[in-house]
Amino acid sequence: MTNKTRIASNIAGSIVLAFLVLPILAVIPASFDDASYIKLPPDMMSLRWYRVFLADPEWWQALITSFKVALLAATISLLLGTAASLGMQRVSPVTRALITGIVISPLVVPVIMTSIALYYVMRPLGLHGTLLGLALGHTLLALPFVVVNVGISLRGIDPNFLRAAEGLGATPWRAFRTVTLPLILPGLAGGGAFAFVSSFDEVVLSIFLAGVQAKPLPVKMWETIRVEFTPVTAVASSILIAITVLLFAVVKLTTGTRTSRRAEHVS
Amino acid sequence: MVATSSVGRRLARRQGGGFAAIRSQRLRQWLITAALLGPVLIFLGICFIAPLGELLSLSFTGKGGPLASYREIAASEVYRKVFVNTLNLAFNVAVITSLLSYPTAYLLSRLRGHALSIALWCVLFPLWISVLVRTFAWILLLGQNGPVNHLLVGSGLVNQPVSFLFNSTGVYIGMVHVLLPYALLPIYTSMRNVEQTLVLASDGLGATPLQTFRHVYLPLTMPGVAAGFLLVFLLALGFYITPAILGGLRNLTVAMLIDLFVTEQLVWPLAAAAAFWLLFLVLALVLIASRFANLTATVVAR
Repeated sequence: MTNKTRIASNIAGSIVLAFLVLPILAVIPASFDDASYIKLPPDMMSLRWYRVFLADPEWWQALITSFKVALLAATISLLLGTAASLGMQRVSPVTRALITGIVISPLVVPVIMTSIALYYVMRPLGLHGTLLGLALGHTLLALPFVVVNVGISLRGIDPNFLRAAEGLGATPWRAFRTVTLPLILPGLAGGGAFAFVSSFDEVVLSIFLAGVQAKPLPVKMWETIRVEFTPVTAVASSILIAITVLLFAVVKLTTGTRTSRRAEHVS
Repeated sequence: MVATSSVGRRLARRQGGGFAAIRSQRLRQWLITAALLGPVLIFLGICFIAPLGELLSLSFTGKGGPLASYREIAASEVYRKVFVNTLNLAFNVAVITSLLSYPTAYLLSRLRGHALSIALWCVLFPLWISVLVRTFAWILLLGQNGPVNHLLVGSGLVNQPVSFLFNSTGVYIGMVHVLLPYALLPIYTSMRNVEQTLVLASDGLGATPLQTFRHVYLPLTMPGVAAGFLLVFLLALGFYITPAILGGLRNLTVAMLIDLFVTEQLVWPLAAAAAFWLLFLVLALVLIASRFANLTATVVAR
C-alpha cells in the first residue's frame, strides 16, 4: 500500500483510538468540580463532591453493596467456572463445544430479556432485591470470562507434567493441587478479576434485580442521572473507573502481558 | 488336569475381577467428570434456562389465544415501528463502527512492541469500564455548555450550540463509542493473519497498490469485517442504557419498549412476546455470524 494511504490510516486510526479513551477520562476532572453544576473544564478544583458522596449514606452504601455483590459473584463464578473448565477437558470435542455454547449464551441473549425473566422468577422466591439474587444474576454474565480464561491456562499445561506426577505416585487430587492449580493460577486471577469487574459494572440486570435493601452503585447512579444533573454522579463514575483500573493493574502484574496475548487469541 | 483347571479358574476369576476393576475405574472417571460439569449445568438450568422457559410460557398467556401477544406486536404499527427503528439503528451503528475500525485495525496491525501495547490498551480499556460511565461521559461532553459545543462555537464552525443530546445524534455517538472495540478486534485479528508474502507477490507481479488492496488484502480481511459487523449488530439490537440516557422519546428501542411493558404498563405477556421476537432476530444473526467466525472468542474478547 502507498505511503499516502498509510499516513491516512495512521491519522484516522489515531483519532479513533483517542475517541475511544479520552471521553471516558473526561469524567475525572468533572468529579473535582467545585461548582454546584457540572462544568467541563471546571473553573475551580475541589473535593467538595467527594465529601458529599461520603456524607450521603445512600451513596456509600451503594458502593459497599457493589463490593459485596461483586465479591460473591466472582467467588461463585470462580468455583463453578473452574470446575467446568476442568470437566470440559475430560469430554469429547463435540460435548465441549456444546457446553461452551451453553456457558456463553447469556452473553448473546439480550440482557434485558434475562433481566425481566429473572425479575419475574425471583420476586415470588424472595430473591429479588437481595445480595444473593443480584450475585446469581451477575454470575450468568461473569462465568464465560472465567471458563475462557481458565480454559486457556489449562490448555497451556504440558500433559507430561501430570503424567510425571502420576508416575511418581501422586493421587489425582494431589496432582491437581501441586501441579495443575499453581499453573492455572494466572488464569484464575484473570478470570476472577474479569468476573468481579463485570459484576461491579453491570447495570441492566441490577436495575431489575435491585431493591431498597440491596442497591449497587450503578443502579444508584442510573436513578440519579435520570432525575438530576449533579457532580456526585461524576464522583461515582470516577470511583468506578478507579476500581476498574486498580484491578486491571493487579491482573497485569500477576499475569504479565496476558491481555495483549488475549487480543491476539481473538479470532 | 486338576491343577490346570484350577489355574484356569483362578485366571478366569482374576480376569473377571479385572473387568470389574476397569468398569469401576470407568465409572469413577465418569463420576468425576459429572461432578465437575454438573454444578455449572445445574446453575445455568435453574438461573438461566428455567427463567427463560417461564418467560416463554408467559408469552402464550395473552388474552385471545397463545399467539395473541406475538400477533399484537406484529400487527401494531407503533410496536412495529420500534422494531424497525431498532433494526435500523443497530444496522447503521454496525456500518459506522466497521468503517471506523478498518483503518484503525490497519494501524494496529502494523504496530509492534510498546506502541502496539498502548494502542491495544486504548481498545481494551473501555471494555472494562461500565457502559453507564461511558454513556454518562457523553452527557458531560455533548451538553449545550459542554466542551464539544465550546469548541464548535469557539472555532466559528457553528453559530449556536448544537443539540447533541436527547436525539438520535447522541444515541449514535454513544453506541458507536461503546461498541467500536467489538468490531475492531476481529478485523485486527484477520489483518494479523494476512500472509505478507501474498501482498508482496501481488506488488511484485506489477499490481498497483489499489489493485493489491482490492484483490488481495480486502478479500483476506473480509471475514474479520463480517464477524465484527455481525457482532456489533447483534449486541446493538438489545441496547438499553445508552439510548435510554442519550436518546429522546422518539429513539425508543425494543429493550426500552420491553422495560415500558414491565415497569409502566404491567403487561407481562406483551413484554415476553417482544423479548422473544428480539431473541429470534438475535439468533438469526448468530446463525449467520457462526459461518464467519468463532463467536465464542469474540464475545468474551475483553
